[in-house]
Amino acid sequence: MSPFSPLDPLLHSQLRLAVMSLLIGVDEAEFTFLKEQTQSTAGNLSVQLDKLEKAGYIEITKSFRGKRPLTTCKITQKGVTAFESYVENLKKYIE
Amino acid sequence: MEKELTSKESLELITQMITKAKKTAGGDGGFQMLLWGWAISICNFGHYILTKLDFDAPYVVWLGLIPVIGISIWHGVTKSKKTGVKTHLDSVLSQLWIMIFVGIVIVLSFMSNLNMYQNPIILILASIGIFTTGAMVKVNLIKFGGIFLMAAALFSFFLPITEQYLVAGIAIVIGYLVPGYSLKRG
Repeated sequence: MSPFSPLDPLLHSQLRLAVMSLLIGVDEAEFTFLKEQTQSTAGNLSVQLDKLEKAGYIEITKSFRGKRPLTTCKITQKGVTAFESYVENLKKYIE
Repeated sequence: MEKELTSKESLELITQMITKAKKTAGGDGGFQMLLWGWAISICNFGHYILTKLDFDAPYVVWLGLIPVIGISIWHGVTKSKKTGVKTHLDSVLSQLWIMIFVGIVIVLSFMSNLNMYQNPIILILASIGIFTTGAMVKVNLIKFGGIFLMAAALFSFFLPITEQYLVAGIAIVIGYLVPGYSLKRG
């Protein structure tokens, strides 16, 4: 295997990588938390979350808090593995 | 926000976001410790003073804890709603303190079986909670608070019941309030 494996294109994007980095250290996070921390627009964030969910990297749960819709996101085991190997690869590029 | 990242930018972004998530989820600035520290120490000192003044029912001061329970639950629930993030650490800590609270309620329910020596046992339970909290959030001053509470519990067993309230009050000031204010300062 070449020491320079290609970086996962799904993670090598600013917003998706930011979301995955936020989710890696927590059990779950709400959509509003991710939006605030990444300073993204709701529309763009929704699109990127959708891509991460389709790849099986995160799980999205839609529910209600009182009358308000509540979207929570959680990293999956597949997402953790992908994130870890992305970081490992990144280190090789920097070294 | 879709732009090509360099390897260095990627690593910086990862570090920045992990720090942000940690900061948001990193406890409540000692709020619960200060709330319970003040409430329990005031009740202990109150009980001690009223007993010394020959008041018939010095235990009435403990009724003051009823609103404190409400404030504590309300604060815990609103905090988790406000931050919008749940961590394993927060969840373990709240489960630990719920079990300690249940343990304290059981001890208080059987005070007479314990010959009214409930105070040292409550200090032991609090000590375990404070020490474990300190170990989990990696703050040595909180661990020290736990050790102090354990020492106070041991000391209390050698004292008459009334004096145990005074020792418990002092122990809570040092074991809860000192680390609580340290957490608040950040």
